[in-house]
Amino acid sequence: MADLVGGARHHLRLYRRLIGAQIRSQLVYRFAFVLDAAAAALITGTEFVAFALVLPRFGGFNGWSLGEVALLYGMAELAFVLMDLVFGGFDAPTISTHVRTGSFDTFLLRPVPLPLQIFGSDFALRRVTRVALAASILAYGVAGAGVDWTAGAVLLLAASVLGMIAFFGGLFVVGGTLTFWTVDSVEAMNVLTYGGRTLISFPMDIYGTWLRRTFTYLIPAAFLSYFPVLHVLGRPLPDGLPRWAAFLPLVIGPLLLAAAFAFWRVGVRRYHGAGS
Amino acid sequence: MTTGAKTLGGGINAALYLHGARLAFRRQFAYPAATFWGLTTNLFFGALRVAVILALFGARPQVAGFTAQGAITYTGLTQAFLSAFAMFGWYDLMRTIHRGEVATELLRPHSFLGFWMAQDAGRAAAQFLLRGCTILALYALIWGLQRPASPGLLAVSMLFAWACGFAFRFWVNCAAFWSADAVGIGRFAWAWMGLACGFLMPLAFFPPWLQRVLACTPFPSMMNTMVEVWLGVRTGAGAVQGIAVQAAWTVALLALARLTLARGLRRLEVAGG
Repeated sequence: MADLVGGARHHLRLYRRLIGAQIRSQLVYRFAFVLDAAAAALITGTEFVAFALVLPRFGGFNGWSLGEVALLYGMAELAFVLMDLVFGGFDAPTISTHVRTGSFDTFLLRPVPLPLQIFGSDFALRRVTRVALAASILAYGVAGAGVDWTAGAVLLLAASVLGMIAFFGGLFVVGGTLTFWTVDSVEAMNVLTYGGRTLISFPMDIYGTWLRRTFTYLIPAAFLSYFPVLHVLGRPLPDGLPRWAAFLPLVIGPLLLAAAFAFWRVGVRRYHGAGS
Repeated sequence: MTTGAKTLGGGINAALYLHGARLAFRRQFAYPAATFWGLTTNLFFGALRVAVILALFGARPQVAGFTAQGAITYTGLTQAFLSAFAMFGWYDLMRTIHRGEVATELLRPHSFLGFWMAQDAGRAAAQFLLRGCTILALYALIWGLQRPASPGLLAVSMLFAWACGFAFRFWVNCAAFWSADAVGIGRFAWAWMGLACGFLMPLAFFPPWLQRVLACTPFPSMMNTMVEVWLGVRTGAGAVQGIAVQAAWTVALLALARLTLARGLRRLEVAGG
């Protein structure tokens, strides 16, 4: 047991050192860093601001207030950008570059667990501004959604954010693994990752039945944040689903992540160097 | 280093510029798989945008001169012109400056700005045919499209929307002559352009004070005016006036780009190798 704890502590220290090295290197060019960080936030910010600016002219959004939409939007954005920070190394373009140039071999040669190295290989510190922005959108939602916040509601939404991190992280791992076969990143995955993130940023009752059902039963994205938020707002779930269906984000996200890592192991066994 | 004084208007090299445009046009057809997946992503995001717009409209027949069908058409136009107008950014010129390839180009006996413009025209035309027309056709099949109110005026407005956007993109890329961080400056510019040109939401839906501010900038000329001409929100004299504003901004921004380019080239240093 002590051995296991010691091993975990060792790995955590390694991860911190890998991340720390990247943070230091990214901070060398201060002006470039500040510029990139501000631009990253502006891109996300303008999208939500555009929506918030036009909403008053229409007065409503299928029965959702701006605060309620901000809750969904902020949670999805917060989870996605945190996931991007943690799982950035698994993103298909990153792995694709390693596969093409053969630098993936370097990871395989080092006496450190492979996933740990990949986790520590791409940490874009400039995204912290997006974390802050997403947190402020979420804070606006928390204050403006008119919810009587109980410990249970807070826990449910925290679980929802964790579930989304695991879910989208799993999609990143799948997309990265596919490049062991395809070398180039598979662009269809973008519809699931970036498309999925945008899709669950809005209440899913605005979509047509087939789109909503596809992203509920085929790709279980609705369970991640839409159902938990419906529950917290005291609204019924669609399709006559039972209330407990709102409590599944921490089941669905980690399940997908586990399956993704199983696929990753298959892909790594399949990998052969580029010969460079 | 100084630029050649020849401009597009010289007419001597028209065939050369046409050839540059044609090559850039053909280059866009090199990756059919990427085009296919780009289209799929475009269409998926289009579906999401249609849903958001329809949810905003609810039961309202008309808002700010837009019908619900017009608003659907608007989302189709943004998805269709996204790549032709390079809404997510354009870094080609700054890349050649940072890599020093710009030195080779300066040796060629043609207008630097003119040749880049010709190449971008070819690129935009190909993207419009490949992705724009396909998206519009798919939109017409799935959600229905509003027909352009006056095709003649629309064609002119579309041309100026591209030219005005190109001049702005070129000018932003010139930052690379001064700064190694031009990519970051570019990201800033494109994010702002997306909001201010009516790519994220039609400008007519914004609060009046913001519309007044944006009307003083060149950004609406890069997309919003064209959309309003297509939808018939601007007709007759209003459309002509909008196009005149587009033309004026295009000329002004091209002049600014040319001036900036000339100053940038004066301080350009390329390491040999």
